[in-house]
Amino acid sequence: MILTAPSFIESLINFEPLRYALIAGICIGFIAPLTGSVVIIRRLSFIADTLSHFSLAGVTVGIFLSKLLSHVININPIYMGVLFSIGGTFIIELLRGFYKNYKELSMTILLSMGVALSGLFIALTPGISTSYTTGLLFGSIMSVDKNDVLVTLITSALILIFTAIFYKQIVSLCFDETHARISGINVRLLQLAITVILAVVISVFLELVGVLLISALLIVPVSASILIGNSFRQTITTAIVFSEISIITGFYISFKLVLPIGSTVALLNILILAGVMLFVRIRKRYVKKSET
Amino acid sequence: MQVRVNNLTFAYTQKLILNDVSFNLESGEFLTLVGKNGTGKSTLIKCLLKILKVPDGTVFFDNVDINAIKLFKNVGYVPQKVEFSYEFPITVSEILTSAYLKVKDEYFNKVINSLGINPFYRDNINNLSGGQFQKVMIARALLNHPQLLILDEPTVGIDNESMLALYEVLEKLKEKKVTIIISTHDTDFSKDLSDYYLELNEVGVFRIYK
Ligand SMILES: Nc1ncnc2c1ncn2[C@@H]1O[C@H](COP(=O)(O)OP(=O)(O)O)[C@@H](O)[C@H]1O
Ligand SMILES: [Mg+2]
Repeated sequence: MILTAPSFIESLINFEPLRYALIAGICIGFIAPLTGSVVIIRRLSFIADTLSHFSLAGVTVGIFLSKLLSHVININPIYMGVLFSIGGTFIIELLRGFYKNYKELSMTILLSMGVALSGLFIALTPGISTSYTTGLLFGSIMSVDKNDVLVTLITSALILIFTAIFYKQIVSLCFDETHARISGINVRLLQLAITVILAVVISVFLELVGVLLISALLIVPVSASILIGNSFRQTITTAIVFSEISIITGFYISFKLVLPIGSTVALLNILILAGVMLFVRIRKRYVKKSET
Repeated sequence: MQVRVNNLTFAYTQKLILNDVSFNLESGEFLTLVGKNGTGKSTLIKCLLKILKVPDGTVFFDNVDINAIKLFKNVGYVPQKVEFSYEFPITVSEILTSAYLKVKDEYFNKVINSLGINPFYRDNINNLSGGQFQKVMIARALLNHPQLLILDEPTVGIDNESMLALYEVLEKLKEKKVTIIISTHDTDFSKDLSDYYLELNEVGVFRIYK
C-alpha cells in the first residue's frame, strides 16, 4: 500500500482528467446527500428518478442538435439536460391536475417519455459511440473537462449558499409543512425552489455518474445516516461523510483495479449502509442485554 | 389581532360539521371552544388557519379576508397532533431554532424557560413524553410573536405544574392584547381568562356565551 499509494497521488498531479474527475466527485459527494436528505423527507425520490430519465432525453436531444448544428453553434448537452429537467418538474405539475387520486401517474408518464425520447435521439444522431451512451447510463466521470468541472463547482456553490440562507425554512418545511405555512413561510415558492435545485443537480450530475446511479448517490448515504443520527444536522453531516468516503475510496479502488468509478462508488455506499444496519442490530441486542 | 367570522358553514363531503358559525373577537380577547369529541372544534380551527378552505367573505383577520392573505404574519398555532410522516431525526432545539428566523435572543430564551424546556432541549423528539412534546409545540407557536394564538387541546397530557406555566404564559399574552382561541375539555383551566365560550354540538349547531 505504502509503495503503491504515490502512484495515485502522482497521477493526480500529472494526469489532468483524474484531477478534474476527483474535484467533480468531491462536489457530488457533498451535494448529493445534502439534496438527497430533502428528497427523502419530502418524498421526492420518485420525482428524482423521473427527472433523471427526462433529463437524459434532454442530453440526447442536445447531442443531436450539437451534431446537427456543429458548424453554427456549440451546444453543451448538459444545458439541454438542465432545461428538460426543469421543464419536467412543470410538466409533472401540469399532468398531476388530470389525476386526483393517481398523482404518481404523472411521473410514470414523464419517465416513459424520457426513455422513449432518449432512445429515439440516440438512434437519430449519426456517429454516436456506444461508450458515450454507456457513459450516459453509468457515468463517465473520467471524461469531464475543465468546463464540466466549472459547471459542477458553480452549481455546488450556489446550492450551498441557498441552503445556508434558507436552512431554517427548509428544516421547518421538512418537519411540519402546515406549520411552516402558518408561520409565514412561502411554502409553495420554497417547494418550487427545492424541485428546481433537484432538477439542476440531477442534470449536472447526469454526465458524471450516469442516469442509473444518481439515486444511489442521492439516497443511499442518507438512508444509512438516518439510522444512527440524533439530529437533523448530524444526520446530514454523517451522510456527507459516508458519501465522501465512498467517493474517495471509490476513486482509489477503481484506479487501482481498473473498475468503473460510478459503480464502485455506488457499491461502496451500499456497503456502508449494510455496515450501519449491522451496527444498529448489534447495538440493539447489546442494549437489550444490558437492560436485563 | 381582530378576528371576525361571518356565517361559516363547513362540511366534509356529506356531513355538516359547522352550521352558520359567527363571532367577533377584539384584540386581547380570549375564546374557549368547548364541545364533545368530534363536534368540530379542530375543524373550526383549521378553517381559521386556511388548512381547510372556506368561502370568501367568511373569515377576517384585522378586517382582511383570510383568502386574500398571501402569507400569515404573527399567527401562532398549536396543533392537536402533528403528523410525523417520516423517520428523519430531529431535536427539540432544531425544531425551535428553525421556527425562529432571527438569531437566538432574550425572547427565545424566555419562551424556552417559561415552559421548562431546558432539560430536554437537546433531545431527539422521539425520546420525549407526550407532555414534553406538547410544550415544544406551544413554544414553537410562541416564537412566532403571535398576535393571534390558536391552541387545539394544548392541555392534554401535561402535568399540573406545566398547566400552570401555560396558564401564566397565556395570561401575560392576554395582557399584551394577543387574541387567543383555545379548544379544551378542561373548562376550569381557562375559566378566569375566557371572555367567551363557543360550544359546538353534534348537529353542527353552536352557541356562544360569556
Ligand atoms: N379529514 C376529514 N374528513 C372527513 N371527516 C372528518 C375529517 N376530519 C374530521 N372529520 C370529522 O369531522 C368531525 C369533527 O372533527 P373534529 O373537528 O376533529 O372534532 P373535535 O376537534 O371537536 O374533536 C368528526 O366527526 C370527524 O370524524
Ligand atoms: Mg380536535
